[in-house]
Amino acid sequence: MRKGSRTKHMLVTENAELKARLEEAEETLRAIHRGEVDALVVESATGPLIYTLQGMDAASNRFRGEILAQVSDAVIATDSEQRITYVNAAAERQYGVSASNVLGRDRSEVYEARWLQPSAKTAALTALRKRGEWCGENIHVRPDGRKLEVESSVTMLRETAGQPAGMLAVIREISGRKRSEEKLRVSEVRYRRLFEAAQDGVLLVNPDTRKITDANPFMTMLLGYSHGQLVGKELFEIGLLKDEAASQEMVRKLKEVHQVRYEDLPLESQGGVHQEVEVVANLYDENGAAVIQCNIRDITERKQAEEHNKLLMAEVNHRAMNLLAVVQAVAEQTARGGDPATLVERLCERIYGLAVSQDLLVQNQWHGVEVSGLVEAQLAHFKDLFGTRVLLDGPHTNLTPAAAQGIGMALHELATNAAKYGALSNGEGQVRISWHVDVAAQPAFSMSWLEEGGPKVSPPCRKGFGQIVIGRMAEAAVNGTAEIDYRESGLFWKLSAPFADALGRGRVTSPANDARG
Amino acid sequence: MLALTLEGLLVNAGFAIAGVAGRLEKALGLIESVSCDAAIVDANLACESASPVAVALDARAVPFIVLSGYSREQLQGEFPGANFLRKPCRPAQLLQALNAVLLKQ
Repeated sequence: MRKGSRTKHMLVTENAELKARLEEAEETLRAIHRGEVDALVVESATGPLIYTLQGMDAASNRFRGEILAQVSDAVIATDSEQRITYVNAAAERQYGVSASNVLGRDRSEVYEARWLQPSAKTAALTALRKRGEWCGENIHVRPDGRKLEVESSVTMLRETAGQPAGMLAVIREISGRKRSEEKLRVSEVRYRRLFEAAQDGVLLVNPDTRKITDANPFMTMLLGYSHGQLVGKELFEIGLLKDEAASQEMVRKLKEVHQVRYEDLPLESQGGVHQEVEVVANLYDENGAAVIQCNIRDITERKQAEEHNKLLMAEVNHRAMNLLAVVQAVAEQTARGGDPATLVERLCERIYGLAVSQDLLVQNQWHGVEVSGLVEAQLAHFKDLFGTRVLLDGPHTNLTPAAAQGIGMALHELATNAAKYGALSNGEGQVRISWHVDVAAQPAFSMSWLEEGGPKVSPPCRKGFGQIVIGRMAEAAVNGTAEIDYRESGLFWKLSAPFADALGRGRVTSPANDARG
Repeated sequence: MLALTLEGLLVNAGFAIAGVAGRLEKALGLIESVSCDAAIVDANLACESASPVAVALDARAVPFIVLSGYSREQLQGEFPGANFLRKPCRPAQLLQALNAVLLKQ
């Protein structure tokens, strides 16, 4: 660049002004760099001066020279033969050359251009020829072989007549920027994926306006509001917080402790569906600006499970308490009559009988107990006699828990009695246990116990606990009636009950029975 | 069976039994038909809540004790203001509670 012919005084004045405006000029240069400026207007002592980028007048060149020497981007000017006419300090640094060595030399002594795609070079040359300028990225190889990723802005310089006079290139190294851009892109994709695919609702909130600035797709699923409906709303407007005061309180707390957590927030979706949610809000710093991130998790199912567990625990406790009360009553009743010497044995037998029924109930998750299963369990001592001396006959049907407990205890007492005094006390007696379901106008269940072939029977002189169990207690368990007949040939017991009390809503699954025997 | 044991306990302690019911319907009928000084109510009668029994007893100003395997906290809603006794309980506890509600009369 040549120097103009001005008086020294004027130069000094203008230089001072130019220094003062350097900052402004830098910005202007950036604008030029971005292709936003075609001409510059500079106030001077003689009035506004217009400099055009196309112009080759001396003042323009000197003005540029002043600026270009100061900027941090590399600036290189070449003549029409590609010989270097100017390099600024930044270019000397960037390419590791000195102006005195390269001025007048071929541009290739400063850098060799490599193109990202072969077509890019053609495109650049075409742009320069047609529009007089080109902006783009490529790779410059320094004289020492180091490769630089650069972004260049090249302008065609023309003589006043319009003939090409060379080129002016402003070149910025972007190798570092490229790498961090790439990192940023990867992290952005990762973050987006998290945000979009999260099975939690995520809201971003501006702490100053307390308005939602972004919401992920799950949030839309959770609430039924579209993204557009969510953005711009305050949290209380979508039912996440009670009111505006609660919203302000959250932001105040966040500024203090950076994280707040709300559990059991009842959330109402747009359709009015009630949901239990948990909200964790964090206050972050994002490029110097504070951002609130709210994670909203639907905990309806967890709450239901917790509630269910609580109920279950209470129920288990209740049943345990009831069972203990039954054990207490059995102990009292067992102690009341009979030989004190056999008390422990008798008590253990009865508690065992209770445990057997309980076990069946638990196995069937308290839905009831199948009759033949109950009989087999209570008469487990006589398993070897099943089919020969102990004969079972009845349909497959389930007893209610209460009926199973009452009938279970009755069967236990009947079996104990039979083994001690009745049909199972000798070598040939038989017990027939049968049950029926009558589905007539008044649906009913009945069960009978008939002993034959045992020692001759006579009614007991004293009414013991066993009789209460097979009588009043069995009746109470099924809301029915018990018949006890001490026949000489053997004991006959029959319990009849309304269908609903004995079997609940249970159904008979097989109408007749194969004499299981 | 529990009723039966209670019966024995109460008779031994000098009480007369006005009636026993194992079903809600029967219990309500019993309250209609016989008069008594006090009642012991199981919180559940054959899987039904006995709270209507409590209401009927309150209406006749008959004092009662709710006996249950459920805790007081679980039952308070169903039996507001009632006297509770947890199952299983010691016989002495029950007699004491029964005498206490009779004395309050």
